[in-house]
Amino acid sequence: MSDRPRFHYVIYIRTTAEKLWRALIEPEFTKQYWAATWQESEWRKGAAWRVFKPDGELADSGEILEIEPHKRLVLTWRNEFRPELTAEGFSRLTYELEQQGDMVRLSLTHEMLEKPAGKSKFIEAVSSGWPAILSSLKSMLETGAPLEATRRWPEKVQ
Amino acid sequence: MNAQPRPKFVYVVYIVSTPEKVFAALTDEKTSAQYWSGNRVVSDWKIGSPFALKLKPGMHDVVGKVLAFDPPRRLAYTFHPHHDGLEREGPSRVAFEIEPLAGQVRLTVTHDEFPAGSASFKQVSKGWPHVLSSLKSLLETGHGMVAPWYKEAETA
Repeated sequence: MSDRPRFHYVIYIRTTAEKLWRALIEPEFTKQYWAATWQESEWRKGAAWRVFKPDGELADSGEILEIEPHKRLVLTWRNEFRPELTAEGFSRLTYELEQQGDMVRLSLTHEMLEKPAGKSKFIEAVSSGWPAILSSLKSMLETGAPLEATRRWPEKVQ
Repeated sequence: MNAQPRPKFVYVVYIVSTPEKVFAALTDEKTSAQYWSGNRVVSDWKIGSPFALKLKPGMHDVVGKVLAFDPPRRLAYTFHPHHDGLEREGPSRVAFEIEPLAGQVRLTVTHDEFPAGSASFKQVSKGWPHVLSSLKSLLETGHGMVAPWYKEAETA
Protein backbone atom coordinates (compact mmCIF):
# COMPACT_ATOMS: atom_id res chain seq x y z
CA MET A 1 0.00 0.00 0.00
CA SER A 2 1.44 3.32 -1.11
CA ASP A 3 1.67 6.05 1.52
CA ARG A 4 1.67 8.82 -1.07
CA PRO A 5 -1.26 11.24 -0.86
CA ARG A 6 -4.11 9.82 -2.91
CA PHE A 7 -7.81 10.00 -3.67
CA HIS A 8 -9.80 6.89 -4.54
CA TYR A 9 -13.42 6.73 -5.69
CA VAL A 10 -15.68 4.06 -7.16
CA ILE A 11 -18.98 4.80 -8.89
CA TYR A 12 -21.44 2.53 -10.70
CA ILE A 13 -23.09 3.91 -13.83
CA ARG A 14 -25.88 2.32 -15.84
CA THR A 15 -24.27 2.48 -19.27
CA THR A 16 -21.79 0.59 -21.45
CA ALA A 17 -18.01 0.70 -21.10
CA GLU A 18 -17.82 2.10 -24.66
CA LYS A 19 -20.13 5.02 -23.88
CA LEU A 20 -18.40 5.74 -20.58
CA TRP A 21 -14.98 5.72 -22.26
CA ARG A 22 -16.13 8.28 -24.84
CA ALA A 23 -17.70 10.40 -22.10
CA LEU A 24 -14.41 10.47 -20.19
CA ILE A 25 -12.26 11.72 -23.07
CA GLU A 26 -14.32 13.34 -25.85
CA PRO A 27 -14.88 17.13 -25.74
CA GLU A 28 -18.50 16.77 -26.88
CA PHE A 29 -19.21 15.05 -23.54
CA THR A 30 -16.67 16.53 -21.11
CA LYS A 31 -17.88 20.06 -21.93
CA GLN A 32 -21.30 19.04 -20.60
CA TYR A 33 -20.37 17.65 -17.17
CA TRP A 34 -16.77 18.71 -16.47
CA ALA A 35 -16.91 22.48 -15.97
CA ALA A 36 -17.01 23.13 -19.73
CA THR A 37 -13.42 21.86 -20.12
CA TRP A 38 -12.04 19.65 -22.85
CA GLN A 39 -9.00 17.43 -23.29
CA GLU A 40 -6.61 17.12 -26.20
CA SER A 41 -4.42 14.08 -26.82
CA GLU A 42 -3.57 11.57 -29.53
CA TRP A 43 -4.64 8.94 -26.97
CA ARG A 44 -1.70 6.59 -27.38
CA LYS A 45 1.02 5.62 -24.94
CA GLY A 46 3.59 8.40 -24.62
CA ALA A 47 1.32 11.05 -26.15
CA ALA A 48 0.91 14.45 -24.53
CA TRP A 49 -2.36 15.08 -22.68
CA ARG A 50 -3.85 18.50 -21.94
CA VAL A 51 -6.98 19.93 -20.37
CA PHE A 52 -8.24 23.35 -21.43
CA LYS A 53 -10.42 25.83 -19.57
CA PRO A 54 -13.47 27.27 -21.38
CA ASP A 55 -11.45 30.43 -22.19
CA GLY A 56 -8.85 28.29 -23.98
CA GLU A 57 -6.15 28.56 -21.32
CA LEU A 58 -4.22 25.47 -20.29
CA ALA A 59 -5.62 23.96 -17.08
CA ASP A 60 -3.64 20.71 -16.70
CA SER A 61 -1.00 18.78 -18.60
CA GLY A 62 0.63 15.38 -18.62
CA GLU A 63 1.34 12.27 -20.65
CA ILE A 64 -0.51 9.02 -21.41
CA LEU A 65 1.22 6.16 -19.57
CA GLU A 66 -1.15 3.29 -20.40
CA ILE A 67 -4.21 3.11 -22.59
CA GLU A 68 -6.52 0.17 -23.20
CA PRO A 69 -9.74 1.52 -24.72
CA HIS A 70 -12.95 0.86 -22.75
CA LYS A 71 -10.92 -0.65 -19.90
CA ARG A 72 -8.00 1.30 -18.53
CA LEU A 73 -6.35 4.70 -18.85
CA VAL A 74 -3.35 5.90 -16.85
CA LEU A 75 -1.85 9.35 -17.28
CA THR A 76 0.35 11.85 -15.50
CA TRP A 77 -1.32 15.09 -14.50
CA ARG A 78 0.04 18.43 -13.33
CA ASN A 79 -2.11 21.41 -12.55
CA GLU A 80 -1.09 24.43 -14.67
CA PHE A 81 -3.29 27.25 -13.41
CA ARG A 82 -2.71 27.37 -9.65
CA PRO A 83 1.01 27.93 -8.91
CA GLU A 84 0.87 26.30 -5.46
CA LEU A 85 -0.51 23.14 -7.08
CA THR A 86 1.86 23.27 -10.07
CA ALA A 87 4.71 23.37 -7.55
CA GLU A 88 3.70 19.95 -6.17
CA GLY A 89 4.64 18.38 -9.51
CA PHE A 90 3.00 15.48 -11.28
CA SER A 91 0.25 13.22 -10.08
CA ARG A 92 -0.97 10.00 -11.67
CA LEU A 93 -4.58 9.34 -12.59
CA THR A 94 -5.88 5.82 -13.20
CA TYR A 95 -9.34 5.04 -14.57
CA GLU A 96 -10.49 1.43 -14.62
CA LEU A 97 -13.76 0.47 -16.29
CA GLU A 98 -15.46 -2.88 -15.77
CA GLN A 99 -18.77 -3.84 -17.37
CA GLN A 100 -20.98 -5.64 -14.83
CA GLY A 101 -24.30 -6.54 -16.45
CA ASP A 102 -26.16 -3.34 -17.35
CA MET A 103 -23.78 -1.13 -15.40
CA VAL A 104 -20.12 -0.17 -15.42
CA ARG A 105 -17.94 -0.01 -12.33
CA LEU A 106 -15.67 3.01 -12.73
CA SER A 107 -12.71 3.14 -10.36
CA LEU A 108 -10.62 6.30 -10.17
CA THR A 109 -7.33 6.66 -8.31
CA HIS A 110 -5.52 9.98 -8.25
CA GLU A 111 -2.20 10.02 -6.40
CA MET A 112 0.92 12.14 -6.18
CA LEU A 113 3.92 10.69 -8.01
CA GLU A 114 6.67 12.08 -5.83
CA LYS A 115 5.33 13.94 -2.87
CA PRO A 116 5.88 12.01 0.33
CA ALA A 117 3.07 11.30 2.76
CA GLY A 118 1.46 14.38 4.26
CA LYS A 119 -0.87 17.13 3.14
CA SER A 120 -1.11 17.69 -0.59
CA LYS A 121 -3.10 20.72 -1.70
CA PHE A 122 -3.47 19.12 -5.11
CA ILE A 123 -5.03 15.93 -3.70
CA GLU A 124 -7.21 18.06 -1.42
CA ALA A 125 -8.46 19.98 -4.46
CA VAL A 126 -9.21 16.92 -6.59
CA SER A 127 -10.82 15.14 -3.61
CA SER A 128 -13.43 17.85 -3.52
CA GLY A 129 -13.78 18.06 -7.30
CA TRP A 130 -14.03 14.45 -8.40
CA PRO A 131 -17.23 13.48 -6.52
CA ALA A 132 -19.08 16.38 -8.16
CA ILE A 133 -17.68 15.67 -11.64
CA LEU A 134 -18.31 11.93 -11.46
CA SER A 135 -21.81 12.44 -10.00
CA SER A 136 -22.52 14.75 -12.94
CA LEU A 137 -21.07 12.24 -15.43
CA LYS A 138 -23.37 9.54 -14.02
CA SER A 139 -26.41 11.84 -14.24
CA MET A 140 -25.54 12.75 -17.82
CA LEU A 141 -25.22 9.14 -18.93
CA GLU A 142 -28.31 7.92 -17.06
CA THR A 143 -30.71 10.85 -17.47
CA GLY A 144 -29.27 12.89 -20.34
CA ALA A 145 -28.73 15.90 -18.06
CA PRO A 146 -25.51 16.63 -16.15
CA LEU A 147 -25.62 18.40 -12.77
CA GLU A 148 -26.26 22.11 -13.12
CA ALA A 149 -23.32 23.07 -10.86
CA THR A 150 -20.65 21.34 -12.98
CA ARG A 151 -21.73 22.61 -16.41
CA ARG A 152 -19.70 25.81 -16.19
CA TRP A 153 -16.22 26.75 -15.03
CA PRO A 154 -16.59 27.87 -11.38
CA GLU A 155 -16.35 31.66 -11.12
CA LYS A 156 -14.17 31.68 -8.03
CA VAL A 157 -11.50 29.47 -9.63
CA GLN A 158 -9.25 31.34 -12.07
CA MET B 1 5.92 6.21 16.11
CA ASN B 2 2.31 7.10 15.64
CA ALA B 3 -0.28 4.42 16.19
CA GLN B 4 -1.92 3.04 13.04
CA PRO B 5 -4.74 5.46 12.15
CA ARG B 6 -8.16 3.92 12.61
CA PRO B 7 -9.84 3.19 9.29
CA LYS B 8 -12.50 5.58 8.07
CA PHE B 9 -14.62 5.47 4.93
CA VAL B 10 -15.92 8.76 3.50
CA TYR B 11 -17.99 9.07 0.32
CA VAL B 12 -19.59 12.13 -1.23
CA VAL B 13 -22.25 11.94 -3.93
CA TYR B 14 -24.35 14.66 -5.55
CA ILE B 15 -27.98 13.82 -6.32
CA VAL B 16 -30.60 15.76 -8.28
CA SER B 17 -33.23 15.62 -5.54
CA THR B 18 -34.35 17.35 -2.35
CA PRO B 19 -33.02 16.78 1.20
CA GLU B 20 -36.48 15.50 2.17
CA LYS B 21 -36.50 12.84 -0.55
CA VAL B 22 -32.94 11.73 0.21
CA PHE B 23 -33.67 11.54 3.94
CA ALA B 24 -36.84 9.55 3.27
CA ALA B 25 -34.94 7.13 1.04
CA LEU B 26 -32.36 6.57 3.77
CA THR B 27 -35.00 5.78 6.40
CA ASP B 28 -37.91 4.13 4.55
CA GLU B 29 -37.92 0.33 4.50
CA LYS B 30 -39.65 -0.13 1.13
CA THR B 31 -37.54 2.49 -0.63
CA SER B 32 -34.32 1.10 0.81
CA ALA B 33 -35.02 -2.29 -0.79
CA GLN B 34 -35.10 -0.58 -4.19
CA TYR B 35 -31.54 0.74 -4.00
CA TRP B 36 -29.90 -1.56 -1.43
CA SER B 37 -30.06 -4.72 -3.56
CA GLY B 38 -33.20 -5.90 -1.74
CA ASN B 39 -31.89 -5.24 1.77
CA ARG B 40 -34.14 -3.18 4.03
CA VAL B 41 -33.48 -0.60 6.75
CA VAL B 42 -35.81 -1.11 9.71
CA SER B 43 -36.18 1.12 12.79
CA ASP B 44 -38.69 3.39 14.52
CA TRP B 45 -35.88 5.99 14.32
CA LYS B 46 -36.12 7.14 17.92
CA ILE B 47 -32.72 7.96 19.41
CA GLY B 48 -31.41 4.81 21.08
CA SER B 49 -33.91 2.53 19.28
CA PRO B 50 -32.69 -0.59 17.51
CA PHE B 51 -31.65 -0.29 13.87
CA ALA B 52 -31.49 -3.26 11.52
CA LEU B 53 -30.39 -3.75 7.96
CA LYS B 54 -32.45 -6.80 7.02
CA LEU B 55 -30.47 -8.85 4.55
CA LYS B 56 -31.66 -11.56 2.19
CA PRO B 57 -33.23 -14.69 3.76
CA GLY B 58 -30.56 -16.95 5.20
CA MET B 59 -28.23 -14.07 6.05
CA HIS B 60 -27.90 -12.58 9.52
CA ASP B 61 -28.97 -8.96 9.75
CA VAL B 62 -26.73 -6.00 10.44
CA VAL B 63 -27.89 -4.53 13.74
CA GLY B 64 -27.26 -1.29 15.60
CA LYS B 65 -28.96 1.57 17.34
CA VAL B 66 -30.06 5.02 16.27
CA LEU B 67 -27.59 7.76 17.24
CA ALA B 68 -29.02 10.76 15.37
CA PHE B 69 -32.28 11.43 13.57
CA ASP B 70 -32.55 15.04 12.43
CA PRO B 71 -34.67 15.17 9.25
CA PRO B 72 -33.82 16.17 6.60
CA ARG B 73 -30.18 16.90 7.43
CA ARG B 74 -28.54 14.26 9.58
CA LEU B 75 -28.89 10.57 10.37
CA ALA B 76 -26.52 8.27 12.25
CA TYR B 77 -26.58 4.73 13.59
CA THR B 78 -24.20 2.11 14.87
CA PHE B 79 -23.50 -0.73 12.45
CA HIS B 80 -22.72 -4.25 13.57
CA PRO B 81 -22.73 -6.98 10.89
CA HIS B 82 -23.52 -10.51 12.08
CA HIS B 83 -22.47 -12.41 8.97
CA ASP B 84 -19.12 -13.88 7.91
CA GLY B 85 -17.84 -13.87 11.48
CA LEU B 86 -18.07 -10.08 11.69
CA GLU B 87 -20.20 -10.35 14.84
CA ARG B 88 -16.90 -10.86 16.69
CA GLU B 89 -15.91 -7.30 15.82
CA GLY B 90 -17.48 -4.46 17.75
CA PRO B 91 -19.97 -2.12 16.08
CA SER B 92 -18.85 0.75 13.87
CA ARG B 93 -20.71 4.00 13.16
CA VAL B 94 -22.39 5.42 10.04
CA ALA B 95 -23.35 9.08 9.69
CA PHE B 96 -25.21 10.74 6.79
CA GLU B 97 -25.01 14.49 6.20
CA ILE B 98 -27.42 16.03 3.69
CA GLU B 99 -26.75 19.51 2.33
CA PRO B 100 -29.03 21.30 -0.14
CA LEU B 101 -27.35 23.03 -3.07
CA ALA B 102 -28.96 24.68 -6.08
CA GLY B 103 -31.28 22.00 -7.48
CA GLN B 104 -29.33 19.17 -5.92
CA VAL B 105 -28.19 17.57 -2.70
CA ARG B 106 -24.72 16.74 -1.45
CA LEU B 107 -24.82 13.53 0.55
CA THR B 108 -21.76 12.70 2.65
CA VAL B 109 -21.51 9.27 4.22
CA THR B 110 -18.89 8.78 6.92
CA HIS B 111 -18.41 5.28 8.26
CA ASP B 112 -15.87 5.11 11.09
CA GLU B 113 -15.09 3.88 14.60
CA PHE B 114 -13.97 0.51 13.26
CA PRO B 115 -11.73 -1.62 15.41
CA ALA B 116 -8.11 -1.80 14.20
CA GLY B 117 -7.62 -4.40 11.45
CA SER B 118 -11.37 -4.50 10.83
CA ALA B 119 -12.67 -6.93 8.19
CA SER B 120 -15.98 -5.10 8.25
CA PHE B 121 -14.20 -1.95 7.03
CA LYS B 122 -13.13 -3.76 3.84
CA GLN B 123 -16.67 -4.98 3.18
CA VAL B 124 -18.38 -1.62 3.69
CA SER B 125 -15.71 0.16 1.60
CA LYS B 126 -16.71 -2.14 -1.25
CA GLY B 127 -20.44 -1.92 -0.52
CA TRP B 128 -21.12 1.80 -0.02
CA PRO B 129 -20.10 3.01 -3.51
CA HIS B 130 -22.64 0.61 -5.01
CA VAL B 131 -25.42 1.41 -2.51
CA LEU B 132 -24.96 5.15 -2.98
CA SER B 133 -24.64 4.91 -6.78
CA SER B 134 -27.87 2.92 -6.77
CA LEU B 135 -29.59 5.45 -4.47
CA LYS B 136 -28.64 8.24 -6.88
CA SER B 137 -29.97 6.23 -9.85
CA LEU B 138 -33.23 5.49 -8.02
CA LEU B 139 -33.87 9.11 -7.12
CA GLU B 140 -32.90 10.45 -10.55
CA THR B 141 -34.27 7.74 -12.86
CA GLY B 142 -36.71 5.69 -10.76
CA HIS B 143 -34.53 2.59 -11.02
CA GLY B 144 -31.95 1.33 -8.53
CA MET B 145 -29.23 -1.19 -9.34
CA VAL B 146 -28.53 -4.62 -7.91
CA ALA B 147 -24.95 -5.25 -6.79
CA PRO B 148 -23.18 -7.96 -8.81
CA TRP B 149 -22.19 -9.83 -5.64
CA TYR B 150 -25.89 -10.23 -4.76
CA LYS B 151 -26.69 -11.38 -8.29
CA GLU B 152 -23.94 -13.99 -8.04
CA ALA B 153 -25.38 -15.16 -4.72
CA GLU B 154 -28.81 -15.57 -6.34
CA THR B 155 -27.59 -17.68 -9.24
CA ALA B 156 -25.15 -19.73 -7.15
